[in-house]
Amino acid sequence: MNAATNRRRFLRGMGACLALPSLEAFMPRAMAAAGPARFGTTASGAPLRMAFLYFPNGAIQSHWSASGSGANFNLENTLAPLNPLKHRVQVFSGLEHLNADPGNDGAGDHARANGTFLTGVRVKKTAGSDIYAGVSVDQIAAQHIGKNTRFASLEMSCDPHRKSGGCDSGYSCAYEANLAWRTPTSPLSPESNPRLIFERLFGSGSPGERGASLALRRSQQRSVLDFVMEDAKAFESQLTNRDKAKMDEYLTGVREIEQQIETAEGFTNIPDPAMATPEGIPKAYDDYIKLMFQMTALAFETDATRVATMLLARDGSNRSFPEINVAEGHHSLSHHREDKDMIEKVKMIDRFYAERFAEFLTLLESKQDADGQSVLHNSMIVYGCGNSDGNRHTHANLPVVLAGNGGGAFNPGALRSNPSTPMCNLYLNMLDAMGVPQMERFGDSTERLAVV
Amino acid sequence: MLLLRMALGLCFCAAARGDDFAATFDEKILPILEDNCFSCHGEGEDKGKVSFDTFGSTAELMKQTDLWVHALHNVRSGMMPPAKKKRPSAEDVAALEDWIKRGALKLDPANPDPGRVTLRRLNRVEYRNTIRDLTGYDFRTDEEFPADDTGYGFDNIGDVLSTSPLLLEKYLQAAETIVAKGLPLENRVTAQRNYPAGMFRGQGERGENDWEYQLSLYDPADLTAQLEIKTPGTYRVILNATARGSFSYDPGRATGTWSVNGKKLLDQELKWSPGQKMESSLEVKWEAGTYPLQLTLAPLVDKSQQPPDLGDGPPSVNLHLSGITLIGPMEPEHTVHPPNYERFFTRDDVPSDPGERQDYAVEILRRFASKAFRRPVDEATVLKLVAIAKQSAEAPGGTFEKGIARAISAVLASPRFLFRMERTQPTKDPAEHPLLDEYALASRLSYFLWSTMPDETLLRLAGHGELRKKLGEQVERMLEDKRSDEFVKNFAGQWLQTRDVESVSIDARVVLSRDSGTERENTERFQTFRRLNKEIDEAQKAGEEAKVATLREEMKQMRAKFRGNGRRVEFSGSLRTAMRKEAEMFFRYLLKEDRSVLELIETDSTFLNGELANHYGVPGVDGGDMRLVKLPPDSPRGGIITMGSVLAVTSNPTRTSPVKRGLFILDNILGTPPPPAPPNIPALEASEKGADGKELTLRDALALHREQPLCSSCHNRMDPLGLALENFNAMGLWRDKERGQQLASPEGQLITGEKFADVRELKHLLVTARRADYYRCLTEKLLTYAIGRGPEPGDITTVDAIVEKLEASGGKFSTVITGIIESAPFQKRQRPST
Repeated sequence: MNAATNRRRFLRGMGACLALPSLEAFMPRAMAAAGPARFGTTASGAPLRMAFLYFPNGAIQSHWSASGSGANFNLENTLAPLNPLKHRVQVFSGLEHLNADPGNDGAGDHARANGTFLTGVRVKKTAGSDIYAGVSVDQIAAQHIGKNTRFASLEMSCDPHRKSGGCDSGYSCAYEANLAWRTPTSPLSPESNPRLIFERLFGSGSPGERGASLALRRSQQRSVLDFVMEDAKAFESQLTNRDKAKMDEYLTGVREIEQQIETAEGFTNIPDPAMATPEGIPKAYDDYIKLMFQMTALAFETDATRVATMLLARDGSNRSFPEINVAEGHHSLSHHREDKDMIEKVKMIDRFYAERFAEFLTLLESKQDADGQSVLHNSMIVYGCGNSDGNRHTHANLPVVLAGNGGGAFNPGALRSNPSTPMCNLYLNMLDAMGVPQMERFGDSTERLAVV
Repeated sequence: MLLLRMALGLCFCAAARGDDFAATFDEKILPILEDNCFSCHGEGEDKGKVSFDTFGSTAELMKQTDLWVHALHNVRSGMMPPAKKKRPSAEDVAALEDWIKRGALKLDPANPDPGRVTLRRLNRVEYRNTIRDLTGYDFRTDEEFPADDTGYGFDNIGDVLSTSPLLLEKYLQAAETIVAKGLPLENRVTAQRNYPAGMFRGQGERGENDWEYQLSLYDPADLTAQLEIKTPGTYRVILNATARGSFSYDPGRATGTWSVNGKKLLDQELKWSPGQKMESSLEVKWEAGTYPLQLTLAPLVDKSQQPPDLGDGPPSVNLHLSGITLIGPMEPEHTVHPPNYERFFTRDDVPSDPGERQDYAVEILRRFASKAFRRPVDEATVLKLVAIAKQSAEAPGGTFEKGIARAISAVLASPRFLFRMERTQPTKDPAEHPLLDEYALASRLSYFLWSTMPDETLLRLAGHGELRKKLGEQVERMLEDKRSDEFVKNFAGQWLQTRDVESVSIDARVVLSRDSGTERENTERFQTFRRLNKEIDEAQKAGEEAKVATLREEMKQMRAKFRGNGRRVEFSGSLRTAMRKEAEMFFRYLLKEDRSVLELIETDSTFLNGELANHYGVPGVDGGDMRLVKLPPDSPRGGIITMGSVLAVTSNPTRTSPVKRGLFILDNILGTPPPPAPPNIPALEASEKGADGKELTLRDALALHREQPLCSSCHNRMDPLGLALENFNAMGLWRDKERGQQLASPEGQLITGEKFADVRELKHLLVTARRADYYRCLTEKLLTYAIGRGPEPGDITTVDAIVEKLEASGGKFSTVITGIIESAPFQKRQRPST
């Protein structure tokens, strides 16, 4: 034993045991499950996925922008890691979330940026008693196509720590801890432990044991659901107002699980990846994000779900980045006031997140889907932030990248300029591609984007 | 002034209802406002968007609840009128206060509105504690459940605790895990007992109650224990000792030996590894008597060989000794019920007669469900549970116990377990707010003071309807009980944010080099290290041995040079833990000894161990145990404001933040938080460059900031408080310099006008001139935590009454705890019609 047995070797070893198994074997089933209507499928009948990845505190705009225009462009600086997959991405400029602007609500741009990102609405300013946002775009999709897969959607976060005390300027922490909202009052708390995500998708135990563990879990749940449902209903009738609403949340959960069990029983042959269950949250942030993206890729590949959200860190996150030798907190740095040194460090952080994103896309690109295309081809993945300039807290010209061909619905490999256009317009295009019956509006949308 | 207020308090209790408050306003109150407020908030002025004369009529003006709550708060805390303006007379303030409370806010001290508490779900701390008390199984909710959302600074607020489908799925899964792991499925097993490391005494010993000793492989140890055997029989003695290394490599090695009853069973070399066990499991046939055990460590490497911290934490290698496990006697006649058997089962064996079995199932499930639901369960529910148990027992492979397990998992997933359902007692007068019934009261008490379910005593008293009668003695008992540590951890942990000190991101190297003015130098030094590491890696990959050797040599020289720097560069986990414990233990101590809450702010002692004392520069404290230490007379420590935990959690990763520190005091001690910063204005202290591009000190940068009228009103409140603490760096370490420059004097002035020369005087002001603000703030925080909702205007009556009692008792801790427990918001529920 010598001093070389250190962190690096340890991590290398871990990487090896997490290598993804080849899952092509599962793919034919995905085709079969496509169902009659074109909900959440590509024209070729393969599953179509949708993911939203959120990074915090905006980006250094001058460093983010790509050069060139239309299809003739180059990704530089922050986005340079995406160059190998240039033909799969569209870099948007001009999209905005004006509902995250202060308006009459004053401070709290981080909470608003986070809360508005997928809902497109002005979230209610409250420290607690009556949170109110809107149904998020991923959940609209999930509500329409969710029955095609074992899980309607997956909510994930790489930011498991909660602060004591309050959150941003009089806003409930719920706005910055959650991206997905099932109803305007029910955020969907994300899962941040990769082990638990894995076990939820495939069951617990070693490879080979997992299918049985899932089946057991289901039958056990069934037997208690009837009891608790009656219990809850009996009590709900005695409750009033807010208490009733709380019990409603519970009842909705029960119904949802019943639904899930019913759906799951329609699926046989649940894949059991030939890999060890992840142990938990890796110590280094880059390893952590990588592992969480692997879980997302696994869920997409095995068609466990077609809708996912990932909060890389809550907006306002003040995490420091020992991985790239940035000792200061991200949020403090983002208020750089044109200080060169601070800007440099923010650029490094922006780049750090972009690299993780590129790794995820590379992973998806390397997987072949049922129709012979890559999983990335058959996906639409939004990578972005609800703050554009962290220094000034602006919500116009948001940093947004859309990756994937949407199964052929989109034409990536281009810069897209849409000056002063609601971000929600893009969401409408995505919902259309997903097969959600034509929505007239979403959030503050005005129309669909002309070209995607 | 205080006496006067108390006198007024008495007279408005007696005052006849139906006073004409509108008339009083025009006669008495309006002139007071005109004289003292209108120069900014009336007659065309609306500073801070507040004006009193734009509502058309007195009736309309009186309806502005928010306005009056703020006015009352600002006048009482001395914020308004501003310090530079003339003070209104005490009589006028009292009259205004009385009118706002009774007139505008319509507070009725005789029947105070208890406010509306929303149905509370157990948060993940409460869930974990409740499960542990109920089943004996420790379910790690911190790993399995998502964090709970917080509101008003706490994570037990009914409105904010939502239940997502994901969480519900987790609850179902948790119920399965808990019954699978916690419920014994056999009724007799061989006895098994774990003995703590504390049974071992001698060289290397630690505390007698310690479960685990960490023995460094650099230090010799010779530990012996006497194992007492009462029943003759066959036993198995298992040693629980594992060598573990730090994240980075440590070359320490030692020979470890293990002997039982004089026979040497192990003699092995221990070293840095991911978990090298001292494996020993011996079966013996023993008569009653005492048998000696011995563990020794003989170091093989000298301590001087231990490498320095290269950035991955300090290297270490220890033997973790967690005592022994004794299994036996193994003879069948000595078998016992498995652990936790009695928590679920009431008889020795399962009856064989089917009818009796059914009765037994009823017995078990009625008892368990009543405990889990924290009130007696109805028979219909019991029968449903028995049906579930029966169905499962009769399934293929089913047993009676498995059936019970299934029913119990249903209980644990029920809303009656997960939510705190509260019932009330009937009232005679429909206008009255009803009292909680005794079971609901028992739960409120236990979740407030213990963060867990009521114990048998509380439930028994509730069952006999005697809890309210014996409230005083029960509260006293509950505070004595160990479980009240949870109150300290969860209330103080969130109020003072000590929960965060172990995870707050602070870069010790940057903080220290900033103080000494060697920031740049160090940055370059570390960049060199990084470059060298990278080059070595690359050279190794390319197989260039010679280059590797040269680079290694260069690295070595750099290290030698760096080591000369001498100062520790880590904000270590053990120090952070000591900081958290300091705050918690001090809070606990005041609570337990029923001392004054003022001592939380100003005091001459604190809890320290050697490491923390060294950090604070307090001499004469050695060893790892935290204990109460009297501070030197000139020490700036003592009281939460200068505790390491508070200083660290209010800092940025690389430096102090006077703004955050000021805000902390305003928020958590004075209860006068400034409004949030206006949008689109970045934190000015983020930049420390002046107009000429030169670096400013934080103090100067903030001064510049305060010159702008938009910023001044709030920063005049926050900055002086935070700047008084500039002598403590981001790790709470005392410093005289920043960037090599002498720090300016910490003197300052509160927004309310009082001046202070240093932090000691500031603390003194907080417990004298601003004492009532502090009392009110603490009371409000405690009330929020106790009842799980944010403050409402109706609480003013409750809080004022407690503040008065605190003034009378000199701030005794029991005054505020009892005051809250006896208050209407704690004892009652709002009547349904309101």
